[in-house]
Amino acid sequence: MAVKQYKKVLITSALLIFASSGFGQEARLKNGTIGYVMTDLFWAVYQTPDAQEECPKGFNSGPREQFAALFPDHESMTVEETQLRQEIETWHPTADPDGFPYYDVEGGFSWGLNLDGDISANDFTHPSGERGIDNEVYRAVGCIIGFRGPLGVEYIFQNKAILDERYNRMMIELTGVDNLQNDEEVTVNLYRGLDTLLTDATGLKAMAGGSQRIDTRWGASLMRHTTGKIVDGTLTTEPIDEMVMPWMNLGVKSIHIFRDMRLQLKLTDTGAEGLVAGYADVDTWHKQLIRNDSTHHLSNGEISGISLYKALRRLADGHPDMETGENTSISTALDVKMVQVFIVHPKSMNVSTAKLTNR
Amino acid sequence: MLLVKSWYEVVRRTRFKIFALSTLYAVATAHAESEVNWQTELWLEEAMPPAFRVESSELEGPVYADTNGRTLYTWPLHVQRNGYSGESPGTPACYDEVLTVTAGLMSPYPPGIQLPDLDTRPSCTDLWPPVVADKDDKPLGKWTIVLRRDGSRQWAYDDQPLYTSIYDKKPGDVFGGTKRRYGGDDPSKRVPVSPPSKVPPGFSVATITIGRILTTDQNESVYSYATDTAEQTMCIGECTQRWEPVIAPALAGKNGEWSTLERSPGVMQWVFRGHPLYTHVLDQHSWSQQGSDVAGWSNVFTQRAPSPPADFTSQTTIGGEVLADANGKTVYIYRCGDDSADQLACDHPNDTQVYRLSMCGGGDARRCLEYWPYVRAEKAAASNNNIWTVLSIDPETGHFASPEQENAINVWGYRDRPVYTYGGDLKPGDVNGDGTGEHRGQRNGLQAFMLRDDFMGGTL
Repeated sequence: MAVKQYKKVLITSALLIFASSGFGQEARLKNGTIGYVMTDLFWAVYQTPDAQEECPKGFNSGPREQFAALFPDHESMTVEETQLRQEIETWHPTADPDGFPYYDVEGGFSWGLNLDGDISANDFTHPSGERGIDNEVYRAVGCIIGFRGPLGVEYIFQNKAILDERYNRMMIELTGVDNLQNDEEVTVNLYRGLDTLLTDATGLKAMAGGSQRIDTRWGASLMRHTTGKIVDGTLTTEPIDEMVMPWMNLGVKSIHIFRDMRLQLKLTDTGAEGLVAGYADVDTWHKQLIRNDSTHHLSNGEISGISLYKALRRLADGHPDMETGENTSISTALDVKMVQVFIVHPKSMNVSTAKLTNR
Repeated sequence: MLLVKSWYEVVRRTRFKIFALSTLYAVATAHAESEVNWQTELWLEEAMPPAFRVESSELEGPVYADTNGRTLYTWPLHVQRNGYSGESPGTPACYDEVLTVTAGLMSPYPPGIQLPDLDTRPSCTDLWPPVVADKDDKPLGKWTIVLRRDGSRQWAYDDQPLYTSIYDKKPGDVFGGTKRRYGGDDPSKRVPVSPPSKVPPGFSVATITIGRILTTDQNESVYSYATDTAEQTMCIGECTQRWEPVIAPALAGKNGEWSTLERSPGVMQWVFRGHPLYTHVLDQHSWSQQGSDVAGWSNVFTQRAPSPPADFTSQTTIGGEVLADANGKTVYIYRCGDDSADQLACDHPNDTQVYRLSMCGGGDARRCLEYWPYVRAEKAAASNNNIWTVLSIDPETGHFASPEQENAINVWGYRDRPVYTYGGDLKPGDVNGDGTGEHRGQRNGLQAFMLRDDFMGGTL
């Protein structure tokens, strides 16, 4: 019996050593190709424990608080004067002040990347010391409870949907990879996957080694290609002019549009972790939020869709409109995690077209 | 219905009694199939008072109706964010009172706010006349009689009080409500009452935008293969690894549209309208249409939904297939229910337009025409069904236009309500307006008209 147990330990140890050796990497990095699928996505919000550094004036108010302040005598008022007035302000927003104070982030640190290559007074400093960080979305949402971890409503639910919903299943595929530690040039392809994630028994933790078919039909418009280089295990890509990110959390077919989008990811053979950064289209950003999260949901995170829109407009720092000169996009960064996945390319794209009904 | 339900339950418990029970099923349903109609859904006949009958509707399959053919509806209890609305079994809650303030059922807005258009606001029974029982009427089977507050008698089905809808004009109209699935943030809706679909135990039928889809009772879509016949299947061997035959009880026999095929000795497969049935092992959600992508394979419907206007198109979006106008622009439906205790709908041109105008144009009818234009119809446009019709609308108000009104516009209507496109959709396949409005467009807003939804759990 003791011999049997000894053999068992020996075999198990050998397997573990085998698995942690270069073999796993070779198996996953096959013919110079490796794929990763997104499992976590958060708006990059730099937080200190008591928020005093970034939000010294406190947090912004949400729909319930604003309604109470605006309409203390709501029982003597009409639906048009109260509820619908607020919904109109939400769905037909303007940049005009709403009368409520808005608390931008005041701290000097932020996660993110230097998107414009400049270092200006308005930029943040990365906690690592790098200056010139562009992340105005953080400045707008950093003092809203709903966007802060670990209990903010957006922090929880938008990220949960990345894991749960196939609609959000974005992947990257690196080709031409000689070495995951250092490679002067690799090709980076972005696809949407069609399949549920491989998870552990809890269903909450995505595992490396799953398979994903490429969504060549519904996701055809989401495909993008760029190049990048790997230095000391970190992939940095060239910007993609416009990346469309499918992101819904409550059943609405919504998207984000990131201009000049680039990735900075620490790679291993089982996963990737880092940043998605670029300039988010302001109107699309706002609509993605309010289409998924009704005023009820926003209330739970004390997020005023009305006030936040004005802040986004005020802080927008990219892609000025050709006619008005007004900036249409806002710098941003997202914390992203991915696990390795085997990406399955289709043999063909033969699919039937949808049939209109007939009788 | 008791007979059918007992058969269903027994079949689940034991296979021993299948033969006897199948025989009972045949007897119970034989008189409901006086004429097999391949276009419409058949139903199981159950005991019914003489005051009622069954009508075939174009969208919802067979529905119960009163003697005049008006569809019957219930108003089931529905949990909302801040409480319940609708009716508890046996307890009418719809009365001839004009409610004046909100109930606060929908977070985050508080109760007690004055409702719009009070001078013209109807009472619940103005829109939903109760189905009154005569003094001599007697309960029968699932049909019972409940007492209203004034002591009058009202018919009920499954203990839910029954109403008709003033929006229904002809027998078979189901403009007052739908059996389609609705969720927690929807208003508590009125639901048409139907006899059971004539399908064997183990199957179910659900209403989706393109028809009454046949599924297993686990909501798995069932499919048929084009070259199969009632006597022969072409799907054998490796094919069955992807397409699982839906197995029938060994002694199930032919019954109207249903029969069986002996695939191999002792293994019977269900056949519907001459086609053996399968499930698709790669389907990823309920009511899926994914299997229909494979050449030769089709979803199975008990009846198809009426065709949209001839020049409408289907477009591929990032979420599935959507109905679009002739230019490829996504078609949207406006949905609305108020926050009164009556939960009155506000999505019809006869309803208050205050909610719709706020959402489509910030309260400005002209901006609505720019942001959410109606899908225009030629004056002479015609439809071959009652679901898609041409409506004459007053563009300044959103109500139906009066006869001879000069600025009236002709627009396409679905279920007697206009459909729209969205100014923010720039190219075919855009669905940028989907979920616009309160509660993701479920209560006062717009949702895309999906023909197929591969990501949000089907189009129910």
